Amino acid sequence: MIAQNIAFAILALVATLAALRVVTTRNVVHAALYLVVVLASVGALYVLLAAEFVAAVQILIYIGAIVVLFLFGIMLTRATIGVESDLDNDQRWIAAITGLFLLGVLTFVLVESFGDDQLPGLAGVSREELTAQRGTGAVGDAIFSTYLVPFEVISVLLLAALVGAIVLARRD
Amino acid sequence: MGGALFLLTAAALASGRPPRGFYALFTVITAVLAMVGSALAWGRVTDPARGAYSAIGDAIMVDGFSVFFGIVITVAIALAALLADDYLRREGLDGPELYVLMLLSGTGGLVMAMANDLIVVFLGLETLSIALYVMAGFQLRRLESQESAIKYFVLGSFSSAFLLYGIALVYGATGSTNFSRIADFLADNLLAANGLLLAGFALLLVGLGFKVAAVPFHVWTPDVYQGAPTPVTAFLASASKAAGFAALLRVFLSTFDLYRLDWRPIMWVLAVLTLVVGSFLAVVQTDVKRMLAYSSISHAGFVLVGAEAASDRGLAGALFYLLAYTFMVVGSFGVATLVGRRGDADHSLPAYRGLSQRRPLLALAFTVFLLAQAGVPLTSGFLAKFYVIGAAVEAESYALALIAMISAVVSAFVYLRITVAMYMTVEEGDDAAAALPFVRVPPAAALSLGIALVFTVVVGLVPSPVVDFARDALPVLVSAGP
Repeated sequence: MIAQNIAFAILALVATLAALRVVTTRNVVHAALYLVVVLASVGALYVLLAAEFVAAVQILIYIGAIVVLFLFGIMLTRATIGVESDLDNDQRWIAAITGLFLLGVLTFVLVESFGDDQLPGLAGVSREELTAQRGTGAVGDAIFSTYLVPFEVISVLLLAALVGAIVLARRD
Repeated sequence: MGGALFLLTAAALASGRPPRGFYALFTVITAVLAMVGSALAWGRVTDPARGAYSAIGDAIMVDGFSVFFGIVITVAIALAALLADDYLRREGLDGPELYVLMLLSGTGGLVMAMANDLIVVFLGLETLSIALYVMAGFQLRRLESQESAIKYFVLGSFSSAFLLYGIALVYGATGSTNFSRIADFLADNLLAANGLLLAGFALLLVGLGFKVAAVPFHVWTPDVYQGAPTPVTAFLASASKAAGFAALLRVFLSTFDLYRLDWRPIMWVLAVLTLVVGSFLAVVQTDVKRMLAYSSISHAGFVLVGAEAASDRGLAGALFYLLAYTFMVVGSFGVATLVGRRGDADHSLPAYRGLSQRRPLLALAFTVFLLAQAGVPLTSGFLAKFYVIGAAVEAESYALALIAMISAVVSAFVYLRITVAMYMTVEEGDDAAAALPFVRVPPAAALSLGIALVFTVVVGLVPSPVVDFARDALPVLVSAGP
């Protein structure tokens, strides 16, 4: 358990520092890159919780797709890529207060409902049993059995969105 | 049933460069095939030995209710596609995209009607909506069309978020998103603090109320109905509304039936507001499409009256109303499509002046649709209103029944105004009326209007088969298998 705690501390520290840098840096591209660090650390935390599927999805979607989209957005819309001084605006204090408030609420809820509870110990649970219950295989089973219909409907949904986007973008 | 749509939609995407009218024909054939599939499924679910069943991991439910809505939605697709055929050619927008989107949207609607799980409802709703957002903005050169697409998109996204939040809260309160399991849970456990569940109800009602354009979630309706291409409006007012009601009725009337004391008052208020606002605001409109939009709001109110009764009879009434309404509304917007001329330029009331002389049959058809919407006897609209109000009286919602009748009278005024405009005798030398262009009636649209007309009149005269159909189409909860 100790090794996990140390790993958690390091990852959490990295994530927090990087998150602070995301909002304080004066360079938009740097902010996006710091965001990669934050998201990767969170992904690593998922691995610590033995949720490797969520971790993989986190890396693929957030870093692979969303941050790249950010960078493309910056590249296509902003002329200057570099240090800028006007990135802050007047709402930063309101944003800070909101953020701290959210932190307070989440902390309160977690402490209030879980307190000193500990996760059920893994002693006595075999590795096979654990993967069968919570591993990637279990997620795959769920997708293709219980949630088969939602899964298929999502593909239709994406098809609709795709066709719609092409229709809207094609004609000028 | 849904599978037919899936497959053929893909085929429509892949097909090459076929002759004119092929796409519309293809869409209609697809819809009719899906309808036949539904009819076959109907024989399966009404067979007492076999009954309704839930399939594929309990995520969808094939019962009379979903088959009924399957037929309503496929009818709406077929009729709207027939209208769209000529419209698109007139606007120089011919191409498969609109039909593909229409089929995708219809697929979403079918999924909503069959859903046995809140997540499936949500996904169906999104499929339905995303295709509709694009369809509303299909005429990119027309500013109103773009405006309506943006409005619909922004407000629709909000309502989806509400729905999703409602689903989350209901899941939090009951521990499942599956309808059967939620109902079982609620039957087995008495919730000590059910605030979470009630908040979930409210949010679900907001999300679905938006789709069916119930007041106070109706603000998008007039603008979107007016701005969207008219065949799309017909589809929007029929299929999208029917799908929204399918989800609403199934969620509240069958899944949360035990909590009817909690949701009935909310439904009551919604029904009253929807009826009153819909019919009264329709009176002050000058644009025919806006009038029809407001009247479609008040029709939603009538369906809510049936839902509020929370009885089998109310539900059957609501279903009958939706089926009858689908034909009426597609017919009405169909006429508006033809009269509206190129670019949806003119939907004002004066454009309809003297239509009875220029196009007597078209004017007659429109009159029948309007009278049916007003609820004049011998049309399907009368019986539809009769059944829902009868159910409300039976459920002892006398005030609601009274308000429904009053608003029926008020909205009759709107329909009569249009009718008077059409039959108003145009005097000799009236330049304004003489200058109105000839209204061309293409065969596809005529077919669509004819079907709608025949249905409206025949069901008005011989209602019993359809009434039985609606009565047998009650949603069934099948408990999850082991």
